[in-house]
Amino acid sequence: MKPNITSLCLYLLLTCLTFSGLAAVLPPGVMHVNGVPAPALKLANLDGKSYDLANSRGRWVFVHFWASWCGPCRREMPSIQRMTDMLADSGIEFVVVNTAETEDEVFTFLGIVAPDLMPLMDLDGQVTGEWQPRGLPATYLVDPDGRIRYQALGGREWEQQAYLDFLRRLRSE
Amino acid sequence: MRFRIQYLITGHWLAGVLLAALVCTRASAIDKPYPGPFVENDQLLVVLMPRTPEQMAAFYEARGFPDDAIARIRKTCFVTVHIENKSRSVIWLEQKNWRITSNSKPLPRLSSDYWDAQWDDIDLPLAKRSTFGWTQLPLVRDLQPDEPVGGNVVFPGTTDSFDLEAPFYVGEDKRNGMLVIRFENVQCPQGEQET
Repeated sequence: MKPNITSLCLYLLLTCLTFSGLAAVLPPGVMHVNGVPAPALKLANLDGKSYDLANSRGRWVFVHFWASWCGPCRREMPSIQRMTDMLADSGIEFVVVNTAETEDEVFTFLGIVAPDLMPLMDLDGQVTGEWQPRGLPATYLVDPDGRIRYQALGGREWEQQAYLDFLRRLRSE
Repeated sequence: MRFRIQYLITGHWLAGVLLAALVCTRASAIDKPYPGPFVENDQLLVVLMPRTPEQMAAFYEARGFPDDAIARIRKTCFVTVHIENKSRSVIWLEQKNWRITSNSKPLPRLSSDYWDAQWDDIDLPLAKRSTFGWTQLPLVRDLQPDEPVGGNVVFPGTTDSFDLEAPFYVGEDKRNGMLVIRFENVQCPQGEQET
């Protein structure tokens, strides 16, 4: 059968437009990451209940590292709580990891600014170190296969429409 | 305090001269309320915030650092640095290229090896070491467009002023020129002083 050059060109054009479109829709401060496997994340939360990222295969996971002494983290945390409320039905799992603070410090801070968030406690900071964040706060988006696909640089207003739209679109990737 | 900026573009000296003129103008127009000496242009913002021993002691005491750690912290000079890439290119923070001098002699930055030895001496818990580490300015960072980075650079305590010259390569492959930021006559605040 003779190849249809017009169809082929159209296909290539659509492919290019699709990929350029995906790149264009990344909201400010969010970077694509080339699918490196996420490091282990197995910690207990503030209530002592254990969590293992390995058990979250099959869904996107929003992994956020923070500490209450870090100014951008303090400013960002209320926004994260509002975002998790707004995306409760998105199918995304939200995991916030406190880095190397005590339960008292975390409870005192979150009780005021984001009382509905239940953080994992990286009490000695070693798990955070394994993830090698660029700084605190740090956010990673782990895909359903357990690979890091996106990384957010610094703090941001997560409940802004651009971020909500981006996160909702993840399920279609 | 005086500060200057120089823009170098390999092979594009005229563009470099024009840009240098532009950024020098910007740097001298000090009208923004940053809490310390700063250089700002269309590509980069660098702010230095020298801290008093009391400020640093209070910060780490509030995070549960023991007295013997605080005593060692008090003997040093902390400068909190904020850097922001305002350009559309990657800009490289590489502290190994920074030149810090006091009285025309190199003023060595206290390295992570130095602090590890200090913390080993007093058996500082891992959590505190982690917190201390996260409060330091990263040694290397490929700053993406709009990305900020911050943290402390620490020197031995000194009453003398110091100069800082910080080159930043531009471009993912570091081949799109270099920004050189200079701060002169920076003072480490002494005890009981407020910045």
